[in-house]
Amino acid sequence: MIRNITSRWLVAILAAFLVVATACGGSTTPGTSKGTLTVGGFNFPESSILANIYGQALAHDGYTINYKLLLGPRPIIAAAIKAGSIDMYPGYAASELEYYNNSAGEATSDPAATTATLNTHLQPLGLVALTPAAAVDANAFAVPQATATEYSLTKLSDITPAIASQLVFGAGPECPTYKFCLPGLASVYGLHFKAVKTLDTDGPLTRAAFKNGSIQIGLVFTTDADLKGLGLVVLQDDKHMTAADNVVPVVRQAAASTEVTTVLNSIDGKLTTADLISMVDQVANQHLDAAAVATTWLQQHNYSS
Amino acid sequence: MPTGIFLTFDPWINWGWLSSHVPLFEDALQQHITLTAIAILGGLVLSLPLGVAAHRWRAFRSPVLAVSEIFYTIPSLALFALLIPYTGLTVVTAEIGLIGYSLLILVRNVMVGLEAVPPDVIDAANGMGYRPLARLLRIELPLALPAIIAGIRIATVTTIGLVTVTALIGLGGLGQLILEGFIENFHTPLVVATVLSIALALVADLSLAGLQRVVVPWARNT
Repeated sequence: MIRNITSRWLVAILAAFLVVATACGGSTTPGTSKGTLTVGGFNFPESSILANIYGQALAHDGYTINYKLLLGPRPIIAAAIKAGSIDMYPGYAASELEYYNNSAGEATSDPAATTATLNTHLQPLGLVALTPAAAVDANAFAVPQATATEYSLTKLSDITPAIASQLVFGAGPECPTYKFCLPGLASVYGLHFKAVKTLDTDGPLTRAAFKNGSIQIGLVFTTDADLKGLGLVVLQDDKHMTAADNVVPVVRQAAASTEVTTVLNSIDGKLTTADLISMVDQVANQHLDAAAVATTWLQQHNYSS
Repeated sequence: MPTGIFLTFDPWINWGWLSSHVPLFEDALQQHITLTAIAILGGLVLSLPLGVAAHRWRAFRSPVLAVSEIFYTIPSLALFALLIPYTGLTVVTAEIGLIGYSLLILVRNVMVGLEAVPPDVIDAANGMGYRPLARLLRIELPLALPAIIAGIRIATVTTIGLVTVTALIGLGGLGQLILEGFIENFHTPLVVATVLSIALALVADLSLAGLQRVVVPWARNT
């Protein structure tokens, strides 16, 4: 009796395992496709939009596209492209350079020069950065309206060392060692804050910290459409410390055929910062799908994908 | 123009958005179930022999328990970053993590279950002429089933929660939607995916409790 029940139970488990295993099997459909490319993206809305723009343009050109979006921080995405799990991702010239050169501080405010230096680091990894777009998603520093009024701040150089010593600064974990974040604020503007809070890179933690007053200055992205709505004032980078974080596709050399390069470069030739701001607003604030927002942009720019 | 307003008045559930995104939740739920099922079945396939070995040979005990405990302490981000060069952004990478995390609970329960088999039952089985393997399969494991199923229940519920961390590598099932809701400060996917995840854990736990009643009717009180 016991034996019967046990064996029936084992059979049931084995059957379940088989069902699951078959369900997980591959489902690639070869057709008249020019090849299959996997487009990756970071875990913020702008990256999903850019990945969809690149992906849909390539799909329109005849490639089969898979997406791997909302991937974890840069170490995950860099490991994934090196391993060939993704063929490309929308990167940012200066940020990619400072990641692949281990924060050597080589990035400048010149996008072409920054991308050229980036490529010397990508070359041995079998990767290549294509032509950077005019669109920039730069890091910027913002303060709440009340703080701006209190100390009459409009640009970073308005913050005197005395004011800085009263402000708590918040940004992502990489900021204290990233040339264009805290070290830049210290060396270019001579700022040393009362305290530094490790939060996220302009994510929900930073927003919450601004809201409850636990930080008075923090890192934000220039492409955020909702900064005004949150009552945040971006301080002007009047001494030009910010690096060229122009959007640039990072592609595996094996996938960067002339045709793929042409398609991606033509996208980058048309993409502007204003486009990014408006598309990020539609996804992050109006909750439209990144894929649909990307399709609209492509249609407006003569890709009917 | 609409920015701050959307943030301030974002309802807990935006039914219009939800009704047009049902397939998203279906796919995520399906992926969540698949990832959990493979993790638990894979965890069982590994932990049954490990638990039996640890029960039978004392020398295996500490190393087996130590390895499953140490694995449990590896942060998922570090684990995935280490695995991606070999297994990429695949289900394999996710399952190495999830199966590894399930071992701590499963191995221990297999062992505890086997240890709880009364010595006189073993004596009786020996007296009836059972050889060790037959005794294990027909006497000891069936008697250990209540503890093993209890372990499967705990492991299943924790794995349903843990699956969400595989969103880091683009999987994650419902975790993908939770992450999306979190980064966009958008309540609907966050709330709905969380509720689905809790419901899934409850349904799984109750089904396994039901399975336990069917398989080991003599252990009704657990």
